[in-house]
Amino acid sequence: MNTAIWLIRREFWENRAIWIIPAAISAITLLAALFGNIEHMAVPADFPIPAVGQLFLVAVGATFFAMMSIYATWYLLDCLYADRKDRSVLFWKSLPISDTMTVLSKLATAMLVIPAVYFAAADLTSLMMAFIVSVRASSLFGGALWHADLWLQLQAFWLYLIVTAAIWYLPVCGYLLLISAWAKRAVTLWSILPPIAAIIAERWFFGTHVIAHVIEARLLGLPGAAFNTKLGSWTTTIVQHDAVRTPADIWSFLDLGGFLANPETLIGVLAGVVLIIGAVQLRKRRTEI
Amino acid sequence: MPALIEARDLTKKYGAHVALDRANFSVEGGRIVGLIGPNGAGKTSALRAILGLTTYEGSLQVLGREPFRERSALMHDACFIADVAVLPAWLRVDHAIDFVAGVHPRFRRDRATALLAKTEITGKRRMRELSKGMKTQVHLALTMAIDAKLLVLDEPTLGLDILARSAFYDALVNDYMDESRTILITTHQVEEVENLLTDVLFINKGRIVLDSSLEDIATRYAAVAVAGDRIEAARAAKPFHERRMLGKLVLYFEHPDLQQLAAFGEVHTPSVSDLFVAKLSGGAE
Repeated sequence: MNTAIWLIRREFWENRAIWIIPAAISAITLLAALFGNIEHMAVPADFPIPAVGQLFLVAVGATFFAMMSIYATWYLLDCLYADRKDRSVLFWKSLPISDTMTVLSKLATAMLVIPAVYFAAADLTSLMMAFIVSVRASSLFGGALWHADLWLQLQAFWLYLIVTAAIWYLPVCGYLLLISAWAKRAVTLWSILPPIAAIIAERWFFGTHVIAHVIEARLLGLPGAAFNTKLGSWTTTIVQHDAVRTPADIWSFLDLGGFLANPETLIGVLAGVVLIIGAVQLRKRRTEI
Repeated sequence: MPALIEARDLTKKYGAHVALDRANFSVEGGRIVGLIGPNGAGKTSALRAILGLTTYEGSLQVLGREPFRERSALMHDACFIADVAVLPAWLRVDHAIDFVAGVHPRFRRDRATALLAKTEITGKRRMRELSKGMKTQVHLALTMAIDAKLLVLDEPTLGLDILARSAFYDALVNDYMDESRTILITTHQVEEVENLLTDVLFINKGRIVLDSSLEDIATRYAAVAVAGDRIEAARAAKPFHERRMLGKLVLYFEHPDLQQLAAFGEVHTPSVSDLFVAKLSGGAE
């Protein structure tokens, strides 16, 4: 357990971007809130004020989540490659830390630690931003940003998304780790080439698109798998003669039981475990480049 | 007491290239063993196998363990410096100490800090700010602070200047070595280490060509600087190597009959580096 904590700390020393990027997004957001032209924002007159507040907060969270996804992807591709490239793997392997432990520490960093940092940063930023905006543009927003229920719902939404994304994207993470442990150069290129080659080969020889569909379903399938859009309750508002549907509340959309029982989720986890075991085996065999 | 390292038919292939070809050797506890060979002889492959960094064929036991399968357990009792300057550029000196102290049960922090206190290296500096010699000092301080039974050094002084080299070996012999430890060291700079070794392993083309203690070398090998008129008689005694040095012909003999050899000229025990040259080049030079 002690070793695991040191391995995570190590990741913070090596990858200072883990906190620098969210700090930078936070700074930019707060600067925009402080000096941006928010008093004169062109919001349609009949647009419901609470929805504006909701939109604002979701936009901040989504920015963090998008950056987190990009960074975590890059991190996973780099983490088992960088130390082979600079040969420091020879130092890390001289310590009594198993390769399984090493690979799992990288996985945990990408799937738990980085999301936790971004979640905390997004929360803090939203709070400060809401405060600044409310003070500067109270005429426009009023108390729209300050509903305890809205905050609670957004917390639940983002946490739910982080957890389900971690489970859903386990095979993708495992694949990235495998490439990172294997490639001798150009990890990014190597991460893209095999699926493209497989898709082309399949099309060439069989004229089918099974692999392309599997990959597409995995990359884009999370919202459909994790959220229950049919049962969810919607509010319809008429904005300039158009009906706009917004979620009435978040709770009815969350479907953890359904997500976990979904065979696609389970197949994904299984594939992820296999790929991670493969990454560990490669890590054992490959030292410096 | 069983040997610390026991290799039987140790073989390592990279595709068609055979780096280690059924190598047999053993290393006893409390010794300083030099694994000596020309470039590409299989030194690094042998070390990689011993340290559990690579797969291999044949049988290999290090401290009673199978290195590849049990690397992390092995690293409780063994440590290594494989090449200089492998500490990552982003790592801070104090973090390096914290980390090793955190994960290694046999690491003695006081010893590492005492070793570093003798240098000009301060804790907040990152490896990228240090010279190659300083980085080696940090790595050495980290490694020597581990109470390990086996220390493996692979070309530990490559790229260091003469002062740093001698400081390195002084620290190794004076501050580190005692009877509970064993050091396995590879180098192609034989002259640099021959005074501190107790045993040598010569490796060439993936095979062990000599496995001997230095005491045994003295009884097993002899070199004779042969006087000009006795060359033919000396050659008849079957030297395994001859070499012309400063105008004199030196013949090398294995299992020598010293009385017989004394008749040919001045007999002496060859130095490790001379023996290395003699063993590996064979025949006449």
